[in-house]
Amino acid sequence: MHKIWNFHGGVHPNENKTQSNQLPIVVMPTPKQLVLPLSQHIGKAAKAIVERGDYVLKGQLIASAQGFVSANIHAPSSGYVSALVERTLPHQSALSGPCIVIDTDGKDQWVELNPATNPESLSKQELLNLVHAAGITGMGGASFPSAVKLQLKSDIHTLIINAAECEPYITADDRLMREYADQIIAGIRLLQQLLGQPQCLIGIEDNKPEAIAALRLALSHNMDQHTNIEVCVIPTKYPSGGEKQLVEILTGHQVPHGGIPANIGIVCQNVGTAKAIFDAIIKGQPLIKRITTVTGKAAANAGNYEVLIGTQVEDLLAFAKVDLTRTSRLVMGGPMMGFTIQDTQTPLVKGTNCILAAADLELAPVADHHACIRCGQCEVACPADLLPQQLFWFAKAEEFEKAQDHNLSDCIECGACAWVCPSQIPLVQYYRYAKGRVKSINSEARLAELARQRFETREQRLVDEKSAKEEKRKIRAVAAAAAQAAKRAANPTEEDPIAAALARVNKQKQEQQTAAAPKSPEEAYKELKTAAAITRTKLKKTSTALANAKAKDHELEASLQQTVDQLTVKAEAALAELKAYEAKLGLDPEKEKTLLVAVAKTNAAIRKLEKTLATAEDPQALEKDITEAKAAHQIATQSLADHQAKPASAQES
Amino acid sequence: MALVNLSSPHHHNLSKTSRLMMWVLLATLPGLAVQSYFYGYGTLINLLWASALALGFEALILGLRRRPITPYLTDGSALVTAFLLALALPPFSPWWLTLVAVLFSIVFAKHLYGGLGNNPFNPAMVGYALCLIAFPVSMTQWAGTETTLTFGQQWHWFWLESVNGGIDAWTRATPLDLMRHTKGLTLNEVASSNPQLGLGLAASMWINLAYLLGGLCLLAIRVFTWHAPVAMLASLGFCAGLFHMGEPDLYPSASQQLLTGATMLSAFFIVTDPVTGATSRKGKLVFGAGVGILVFIIRSYGSYPDAFAFAILLMNLSAPLIDTYTKPKAYGHQPKKPHSQGDKQ
Repeated sequence: MHKIWNFHGGVHPNENKTQSNQLPIVVMPTPKQLVLPLSQHIGKAAKAIVERGDYVLKGQLIASAQGFVSANIHAPSSGYVSALVERTLPHQSALSGPCIVIDTDGKDQWVELNPATNPESLSKQELLNLVHAAGITGMGGASFPSAVKLQLKSDIHTLIINAAECEPYITADDRLMREYADQIIAGIRLLQQLLGQPQCLIGIEDNKPEAIAALRLALSHNMDQHTNIEVCVIPTKYPSGGEKQLVEILTGHQVPHGGIPANIGIVCQNVGTAKAIFDAIIKGQPLIKRITTVTGKAAANAGNYEVLIGTQVEDLLAFAKVDLTRTSRLVMGGPMMGFTIQDTQTPLVKGTNCILAAADLELAPVADHHACIRCGQCEVACPADLLPQQLFWFAKAEEFEKAQDHNLSDCIECGACAWVCPSQIPLVQYYRYAKGRVKSINSEARLAELARQRFETREQRLVDEKSAKEEKRKIRAVAAAAAQAAKRAANPTEEDPIAAALARVNKQKQEQQTAAAPKSPEEAYKELKTAAAITRTKLKKTSTALANAKAKDHELEASLQQTVDQLTVKAEAALAELKAYEAKLGLDPEKEKTLLVAVAKTNAAIRKLEKTLATAEDPQALEKDITEAKAAHQIATQSLADHQAKPASAQES
Repeated sequence: MALVNLSSPHHHNLSKTSRLMMWVLLATLPGLAVQSYFYGYGTLINLLWASALALGFEALILGLRRRPITPYLTDGSALVTAFLLALALPPFSPWWLTLVAVLFSIVFAKHLYGGLGNNPFNPAMVGYALCLIAFPVSMTQWAGTETTLTFGQQWHWFWLESVNGGIDAWTRATPLDLMRHTKGLTLNEVASSNPQLGLGLAASMWINLAYLLGGLCLLAIRVFTWHAPVAMLASLGFCAGLFHMGEPDLYPSASQQLLTGATMLSAFFIVTDPVTGATSRKGKLVFGAGVGILVFIIRSYGSYPDAFAFAILLMNLSAPLIDTYTKPKAYGHQPKKPHSQGDKQ
């Protein structure tokens, strides 16, 4: 007898297994439609290699593993790929994800299979490749790709087969062991072959006597061969089927924090995985089916069903005669760690071991939770030896650092604490929340750190560039100065080029001024007018600027004020000059304006009269008026022309 | 039927806080019975009065805090406080003393800190300590066991603090008091000069045994773990034994220490209060041991007759610190450095 250890904590919920473990496994007929999520395992999603409309055979690869941690997906039956769409995934979040939908044709026609003819001769790598090709993932629920788990660098002294099935209600492994014990043992031998013949311990809870007997019988069949497989019966206690707990029960050692069993020379595999490996290597069949328990008071035909991966929940429930009107809670997985689903079209995946269609009041009612009195029942129950009441406190207060310090990450979310909590606090939910927040805080911190590094690198680069430029400039300046000095030394009489240039510009200006041709009186007048207008505009602009500056109390206020004063003087001078010139020419802009207005007025009067003439009843009278208006207009035009002609005559005189 | 979306686990053992509290209340009954046998109806009257007050104050303050009244009132925590106070107060305490103690326990020590689960100090002990400091005379009025009052007399005393029938000089110091205030005399001398001491000690012993019985029942049905009470009794017994060995004339023996005063009531009903105690198993051991040592020190050298209220309040104060240093080693962590961050790589 192998020695059995104990683990801290654990609880004894009602097992509720007899509802489903009394009858043999029933093979469910191929459903009309199969939905295969590309991500039904831990790790990277597989990549679809079929297209809409393709015909696929049973067992044909339809999506290939991507990256190291990933798994292949095969068509569970023959038929046409009808869609590559987003469908609800079997997850608490009920999020959608890409799925391959196959409309089965009912022929169930296999692809050509290649069973191993001489499995004993296969090398480790060959076995590993076969496991990988068959798309096998952990069948216990977590769905970790098995090939990755078996691909180990370190030496393995113990292979643990997890047959504990500690969750209440679930009996899929129980029935599997009763009916396929020989194949399971054969699968275990393949696993041992793959791992270098370690000892194998099958951990099974003592509430499954028939399965234990079946395994022992199967082992006795193998007595002729050298076997080092032992069936270890362990006391029924939830969660003894947790990987870490089972390792402790069977070996007395704990898996190190943050590590995996392989760190202490142990590999754990689910009993269903052993069977899947047998199917894959001995029969050549990839993982396309599994045993799923349908149970709960709403299920008329509670029991275990061999279902194709991708079967939609509603098809299985209909086959098991589940009365959906009687159930308000549909749990995928067991009552302790399973999750509720709302969409009955959710597909079953490689890890789906149970559908629990609970009638009302069959499971714990949703209770209002009370204050935590720190009674410590949760601490007694915790299999990870944590302080759940403290973690709850920290999660509630959002003190995530303290929660981490109290080993939040070691929580396996088994639900034992919440099961015993007399205040009925949904503790696991608090821990999941805290874990999620810790994750996002950590990733934010990582991003912030990256951003900081990027920023600092950039700053440094800019500083470097600037100093490099400065350096170059300095070198150039020194070189230029040297060249200049050399030049001057070579030619000491040459004057300063800038002074020379300035002198040239001034000279040119003077020349321009003196060389200006005598202007005509019209041109002179226009120039004066323009000069006056320019100074006026300048004054206006500067005044506005000054007002703004005053409003903002700007430092330029004083200098602006000065400019305004200067401009005022200039504008006045320009205006005076213009007036003087006008006087000299005998111009009178005011009079000209009145004359212009008179011309325009008379013109308008004529237009108006002419318009009314078209519809007038008495054209004769109007005609007369028009003639008068035209005469007035002519006079006005004449006087304007006279006035405008004056400057010329004035100059002549 | 609409399918609900709920978080796991979907199962529950259907235990309730109110049921835990009920077990605690039931477990006090043997002690109550024996106490009443020796000291008359006083404790019983006090118990009913305290319960009514506790429920009244609880409802009142829940209303003021705008909390749902029924669920909190029915959780039984106020009744537990009332029971503990009534059992700890002298059987001859008048109505106003109980009122002050309950008021302070429920309103100040419990609800002003946030109500059930949030109070750092044991409410009953806060109320008790307040009265002990404010009304030391009333708080030490323990009658001799030979004094038996009828229910009517007790009732009269309870409200008016006088006894019709003209009995006087019937209250006296407790055995613990006697042992302290007669320092200089050996215990044997005290015993011979006070024939009542033996009787008082006997009554005290039976009461303590009754509480021990109730406490063991609670332990058996796992209302609390053994760690805190056992650590407390062990440390008190150890200190008493050690000093008694050294100077048997001055220090009472371990059995006397363990079976007088409020030792057992405290060990199983107050030290085990989860809200105000330490959290982990190791922490509970430290917490209990601390109470035991403090009790011994205060009983031997302090100026108060019994020490539990102060010892427990002092340890309540240290509970968060104890928690910090007594985190259990979680699964998979190295045993020697449970607080090390290094193993997270």
